[in-house]
Amino acid sequence: MSTLLREAAFLLRQRSAIVGVLILTLLATLATGLGLAEVARQQDSIARAVALQAIDEAAVARFVEDGGSAAYYSFHVAADAPSNLAFAALGQRDLAPFIMRIRALALEGQLYENESTNPEVALPGRFDFAFVLFYLAPLLLIALLHDLVSGEREAGRWTLLQSAPRSRGLWGARVLVRALIVFAALGVPLCAGAMLSGAAPTGVLAALGVVALTVVFWTAVSLAVARSGWRSAVNATSLAAIWFGLTLVAPSAAHLVVNAIVPMPQGAELLRANREAVHAGWDLPQDATMQRFFVTHPEWSDTPALRQPFHWKWYFAFQQLGDEHVARQSQEYRDGIARREALARTAGWVLPPLGLQQALHRLAGTDGTAQLAYQQRVREFHARLREFYYPYMFNEQPFRNTDFGLAPRFDTGAGSSRASGQP
Amino acid sequence: MHEPVIAIRSLKLDRGGRAVLDGLDLEVRAGEVHALLGGNGAGKSTTLAAILGFLKPGSGSIHVGGHCPSREPDEVRRAIAFLPENVALYEHLSAWENLSYFLSLAGETREPAAMEQALNAVQLHAQAWNTRAGGFSKGMRQKTAIALALLRRTPILLLDEPTTGLDPAATHEFNRLLGAQRDRGVAVLMVTHDLLGAAQVADRISMLRGGRVVREWTASPGPERFALAPLYQAFTGESAQ
Repeated sequence: MSTLLREAAFLLRQRSAIVGVLILTLLATLATGLGLAEVARQQDSIARAVALQAIDEAAVARFVEDGGSAAYYSFHVAADAPSNLAFAALGQRDLAPFIMRIRALALEGQLYENESTNPEVALPGRFDFAFVLFYLAPLLLIALLHDLVSGEREAGRWTLLQSAPRSRGLWGARVLVRALIVFAALGVPLCAGAMLSGAAPTGVLAALGVVALTVVFWTAVSLAVARSGWRSAVNATSLAAIWFGLTLVAPSAAHLVVNAIVPMPQGAELLRANREAVHAGWDLPQDATMQRFFVTHPEWSDTPALRQPFHWKWYFAFQQLGDEHVARQSQEYRDGIARREALARTAGWVLPPLGLQQALHRLAGTDGTAQLAYQQRVREFHARLREFYYPYMFNEQPFRNTDFGLAPRFDTGAGSSRASGQP
Repeated sequence: MHEPVIAIRSLKLDRGGRAVLDGLDLEVRAGEVHALLGGNGAGKSTTLAAILGFLKPGSGSIHVGGHCPSREPDEVRRAIAFLPENVALYEHLSAWENLSYFLSLAGETREPAAMEQALNAVQLHAQAWNTRAGGFSKGMRQKTAIALALLRRTPILLLDEPTTGLDPAATHEFNRLLGAQRDRGVAVLMVTHDLLGAAQVADRISMLRGGRVVREWTASPGPERFALAPLYQAFTGESAQ
């Protein structure tokens, strides 16, 4: 212990080391703060959307005449609350929608109409804790470790150091101190952020585990290169190249390979196909539409025959047929995302920095799998909306204003309970 | 006569396919200053490296205080204070802090009074004690390292060109310090090119050539300890080869 304290004090006498550790601590703190602010912004947006739904319902209630118009004009908030660890790794929450205002109309188009994003916004990515951990912290570790032995040789102190008894323990202590200081520079802001966000201790421990593994990995890589006996400048250049390859080139290449192995349609294509199928419904004979609808939904086949040119049940029937028209494509799309996620996880075993990055996003509930799960909850919620509104249309039950209170509500908190530390 | 604290027998050591030490026999006794002279590439520094356990011999044996350097390096290094040829200190630390740090590496601490005494003994002026070593001259670095060797209070001193960088007055003082160490029973093995310096302070001088001791002189009692002429002849003849 005294050896570690001595080496810690020794390291912290070096101005360059202090500056490096301070910068990393500041960046990790800033990233944590920005992550917390973004999560607070998202939570505020969700809270405002939920509050506004009541005002929206009251406005709709003033003019709706029946269940069909209630279903048509009512928007239902389906929000994905951020987990308590989302501040650390915002992941896809800045690209994929976390609030949807769902109607009982065709669903597929509603799911993907928010998908298109400004690529210029997406390109730089988020400055969050994950960015500091996976992209910047390795650089400090490389700076602290690349000349651990070679620097002493070049300065001419190596023989004096080696001539001391127990000198073998010196190098271990120096490595450990450097790794621990970098771990602390990252771990303290992470823990502070987790306390502020109320994250579960198990989740925080798991996230700290990811931090520790990242530090261990880059320490091991730095030492492996440093053992080669090259000069410090060569070590630094080699490690910078490895960092560039492992954090930027290899993950991008893996992404391209995974996308090439699993081709899949764009969400926007699904949206267009769904909208075209729905709009085509206006031009088809009503009876033909209803018969097609009854084939897959026989429970509504006893509905009274259509007597007027427009009836909500016909309108909602061709909306649902529009969803069924793209059902195979939609399933392929979801299967594709799941397969890409699975392949990316496999790549993560080969590329530890990528795997650790995925692990943190999984813990934070901000990865592609979490996005798919949210989408699945929206689908289930939409199915409940149809179940709620269809009896008013197909059985021609009267719709009273008080019935708005019986409409299903989306559980926005489901996301947070799922992903506050469960990998 | 004391038992040898460093005993090297028939030592052979290859580096890069070349025999650097080729049947070296050498003994250093407690209370003796033993100077090892030789030209470039004679194997002087390699001998020190082998004694410290940095290099593993191909054959032969080394015993330092009864311990084998390659098998028990910590025991051997605990008994040795080593002064390298080119002393480099941590530039962001002061002389005082460098001493404290290197002492703590050896698992040792010294009272401030002992540190002051050692720094005074090597004549490092007091203003430099708490100044960052980045601005030190070679002589100041050397003096700090000598103070460290004294503070270690080990039974053996290994010195690699110890007076390089010291001015004549400091060299004289260093020789006096070395004499004091000998009187305390410390065994000193000194690698040097400084024939006159060695003749002033050493009790024995060994001439190393081709990785083995080829000549050895022992100091006589009286003011002229060594006959300088044959020593000089042997040394310059050796250097010329």
